[in-house]
Amino acid sequence: MQAGFDLGSMKGAGPPSKVMLVIQNRIAEMQKVVELVEQFGAAHGVPQAVTNDLNQSLDELLNNTISYGYEDQRSHDIIISLLHTKHQLIAEIQDDGKIFDPRKTNPAIPSSPLQSRKIGGLGLHFVKSLMDDLRYTRVGQRNTTTIMKNLQEGT
Amino acid sequence: MEIAELQAGQLTIVEVKGRIDSSTANVFGERLTGLIKAGRSRVVVDLKHIIYISSAGFRALLIARRLAEETNGTLALCSLSAEVQRLFDLAAFTDLFVIYPSREEGLTKLS
Repeated sequence: MQAGFDLGSMKGAGPPSKVMLVIQNRIAEMQKVVELVEQFGAAHGVPQAVTNDLNQSLDELLNNTISYGYEDQRSHDIIISLLHTKHQLIAEIQDDGKIFDPRKTNPAIPSSPLQSRKIGGLGLHFVKSLMDDLRYTRVGQRNTTTIMKNLQEGT
Repeated sequence: MEIAELQAGQLTIVEVKGRIDSSTANVFGERLTGLIKAGRSRVVVDLKHIIYISSAGFRALLIARRLAEETNGTLALCSLSAEVQRLFDLAAFTDLFVIYPSREEGLTKLS
């Protein structure tokens, strides 16, 4: 299990531009991702609004994977990588769940009244709205989903 | 996420702080539906200190709002930050709830 990075050991070297975390396919594990994104964003001076959008989008994608991606009851590793570049904050999710290409879903913008309103699709609607780019590949038995948020100059 | 409850006459104010996400939405939703089932007919959820609310949180709000309507109660919201208002607009949830700009206004209107 890799768990973030030690900010205290980085004096003079600057924070790493990439970190990785492995979680198990349980909702309770997702809090580790929230904490890593917060820590990583703060270390790179990323605006809080950008960090929040990335965290919410990861919540939506990971919830989908954990809730619907597996047909067995076994534990599965989900690998989350964060990358900070001059122009982007990028998160990549790798899992061995069912094939699921989030780009190919077309969640309708919900508008029905209270009693008939459905939530299905809202999570991906958020991801597509909050992120600047969404990519997906399937290699072998693994999904790789990548989300990106553009950064303003100097962040 | 932290939840605090305050009673102001017949009105119950639920103040939520932090993230309403996959990890916390169940607790949030159960708190709201628990209040409504316990007979608190007028509830205002203060979202001033929410960082964000994910689709799991919107689901919890929707379930509680339906329950309030079915029991002739009121579940209103107040004090949405610009960031949280943006999420409500994206989800097309703004029209599903009575949303007061401040807690004081909610207290005045519902008391």
